[in-house]
Amino acid sequence: MATLQRVASSLSTSASSYGSCKDAGADVTVSDQFPAGLRVLVVDDDITCLRLLEKMLCRCLYHDGTDTTNRERGFYREGVTTCSQATAALKLLRERKGYFDVVLSDVHMPDMDGFKLLELVGLEMDLPVIMMSADGRTSAVMRGIRHGACDYLIKPIREEELKNIWQHVIRKKWNENKEQEHSGSFEDNDCYKQGNDDIENASSVNEGGEEGVLKGQKKRNIAKEEDDNELENDDPSASKKPRVVWSVELHQQFVCAVNQLGIDSTIFNDPLFLIARKLSLRVTVSFAQRNFLATISEAVPKRILELMNVPGLTRENVASHLQKFRLYLKRLSGVAQQGGISNTFCGLMDSNVKVNPFGRFDIQTLDASGQIPPQTLAALHAELFGRPTGSLVTTVDQPALLQASMQGLKCIPVEHGVAFGQPLVKCQSNISKHFPRNVISFEDVASGFGAWPSNSVGTVGPSSNLGGMNGQNSNMLMDILQQQKQQQQSQQQSPLSEPSRSINVQPSCLVVPSQSSATFQAGNSPASVDHNCSYNRSAMIDYSLLSPQLNNSSLNIGQISNGDLKTTGVSGYSGSVSITPLSPCSVNPDNTSQQGRSSTMAIQVGRQLPGFVPNISNFQGSYSAKSSEVLDQRPLRNLGFVGKCTSIPSRLAVDEFESTMSNLDHEKIYMDISGNKVKQEPSIEFVDNARVGIPILQQLPPSPSDLMSVFTE
Amino acid sequence: MDVLSQLQRQLADFLASLYREGFVDDQFTQLQKLQDESSPDFVMEVVSLFFEDCEKLVNNMAKVLEQQVVDFKQVDSHVHQLKGSSSSIGAARIRNVCIAFKTFCEGQNREGCLRCLQQVNHEHAQLKANLQSLFTLERQIVAAGGSVPAMQ
Repeated sequence: MATLQRVASSLSTSASSYGSCKDAGADVTVSDQFPAGLRVLVVDDDITCLRLLEKMLCRCLYHDGTDTTNRERGFYREGVTTCSQATAALKLLRERKGYFDVVLSDVHMPDMDGFKLLELVGLEMDLPVIMMSADGRTSAVMRGIRHGACDYLIKPIREEELKNIWQHVIRKKWNENKEQEHSGSFEDNDCYKQGNDDIENASSVNEGGEEGVLKGQKKRNIAKEEDDNELENDDPSASKKPRVVWSVELHQQFVCAVNQLGIDSTIFNDPLFLIARKLSLRVTVSFAQRNFLATISEAVPKRILELMNVPGLTRENVASHLQKFRLYLKRLSGVAQQGGISNTFCGLMDSNVKVNPFGRFDIQTLDASGQIPPQTLAALHAELFGRPTGSLVTTVDQPALLQASMQGLKCIPVEHGVAFGQPLVKCQSNISKHFPRNVISFEDVASGFGAWPSNSVGTVGPSSNLGGMNGQNSNMLMDILQQQKQQQQSQQQSPLSEPSRSINVQPSCLVVPSQSSATFQAGNSPASVDHNCSYNRSAMIDYSLLSPQLNNSSLNIGQISNGDLKTTGVSGYSGSVSITPLSPCSVNPDNTSQQGRSSTMAIQVGRQLPGFVPNISNFQGSYSAKSSEVLDQRPLRNLGFVGKCTSIPSRLAVDEFESTMSNLDHEKIYMDISGNKVKQEPSIEFVDNARVGIPILQQLPPSPSDLMSVFTE
Repeated sequence: MDVLSQLQRQLADFLASLYREGFVDDQFTQLQKLQDESSPDFVMEVVSLFFEDCEKLVNNMAKVLEQQVVDFKQVDSHVHQLKGSSSSIGAARIRNVCIAFKTFCEGQNREGCLRCLQQVNHEHAQLKANLQSLFTLERQIVAAGGSVPAMQ
């Protein structure tokens, strides 16, 4: 908690530094002066004009008329760079992307038409281009406008005209930022990169130790990669808002940012939370979580954007993505409910769980099989991601990522006892005693992600990030659900498919492969495996708790305990949130040990995830079992977990999850639950829940319709 | 009147006449304003550049106009550039000729183009001589211990 706060504050610090970071040309505070440091590239085949412009610009830039010593064509020099050939200029621009702020180009040039250069610059570098020409005819000026010139200067050019070109730089940047984000905040690539570094550093610091550092590094790499990708993606369509592709990594960053911000509202959209509620499970919100909720700043697109620190990403992109994410979470809860996800959460579900004070969801809409129809899932995914619903074949997209994540897990220091540095899931009563052991084993598994310890009882497979559901995911989810169901019905634990490595688990739709390291770091994917149940690991919904890279160290370990139901979910950090279904299949109140295990499994302990941990875990009491049907012993469908359904041996139930997790790598987990400590005391928790639940309650009334909509989609 | 003052007066008068006769215009003033301590010979430098450029362009245009089939587009392109550079340094007369020149190019009037080309040549030479005198005067003033007065 404290850690989280510290992280949050550090993040906010870095975030606030964004404000101070300014582009050379963006210094709007300089009112009557040409912003110093503005880097101008002048292109003109007329040497006379070139020299003149150079001189004039230098005077504008430095106010003292310091002449540039740059007489060579294309010589880099701070301030003004001149080029007599368009091709050379283009080369310069390409070589030093981001170096120049504005381009002044003549229209008439022998080697390349000025307008062509204008187009190219606009496309590739998205810089403001000012055209110059001795031709002052309206038609010529019009042509310039049509080609996208920021301005059109008619020769002879006077110094006064050049004094104002900085406005084009600023205007362009503002427009880019303002397109969706009406904050008027000013950020540029430098800020992004700087901010990114800040976050990374904070991450490392926060994590403290190799785990954090490693993850920080990975995040950095991935983030930078992402930045590059995003930059590339955005550049080609500079003239119009580029369509942002929410890749896994990007989504991971998004979720991380959301986590960090502690999404107040989204906590209530946390799939685990929602699922638990829908399952009428008693949910206990940990004390830490409660505090976290109370202290968290809002996760608004603007803040998320800042934290994500991805160049080229606009607030609007983030906003729409956030909206989808929330919808996703909502749907997820609906899905979970249907798919017997409840099982997952609780491990042991007790049909007698009392009614969820938060309200009960009408699960009548569940289809007969209790499974989420593929179409629904697909539609869900499609809606969420705007991607076409894929075929039912789900394949793990990024086994590599998973692998990496798993590897990352290894690096995570195993912390016994305390949930990976976070308050752990405290199992309720009978479970609690089992917990520590489970936790440890869990961790062992997590740490040894690369090689799934087969004896990781109660360990949760690597939590993969429940990711953005996409077509694939939906399919996978379906598979999982189906598998789950089957297994559930069989009421027996299927032997766990080889633990470990199997990173071939189909990614659940919910799984978001967090950036490699992160994804599985959570490793702690709660192995909500209920030994007793023929729980198909596919039914695991893994909220990987990892994401150490994210500074969100709070671990939200939730326990869903409902009488015998103990589900502990430790919400992992963004992306790496895996909700492993806890003993999806059977609710076996009597089997405390199993419960313990399952609860353990449910603990997605991520270690300290920087990310947030689904706080679904540990819900106690607030939910009441809706009805037996809710808790029907179907295995909890994996929310987006696709995993090949493998039977899990009782003691290896966790492993099953592990494998499931492995496939989850690239799935995006839309878990933006802040990790919180799981509080142990039921009463308090309950109270917390009550507090927490209310908003949810208010939010959720439409849920039945959500379900309906899910079906109807 | 000492030598310096005399020279300075001479310079001022000369400059005024250049403006009056349209050899240079306000843009030239701008050019002179750009001259400062960091680039004391700025005007001379730029003007030299212009003259070089001008000669090159004239030669090119002559070549093109000599062709059996004149590529007026090319001529126009050259004229365009000449117009740009001449206007940039304030060579008003040359610029004016270029405007007429362009019209002839668009009209594909070889004779007209050739006439204009000749005129450009003439103006070029005149301006060059005038500015040379100007620079000489300025040098003398500086040599005499004075500073070149800023133009109004």
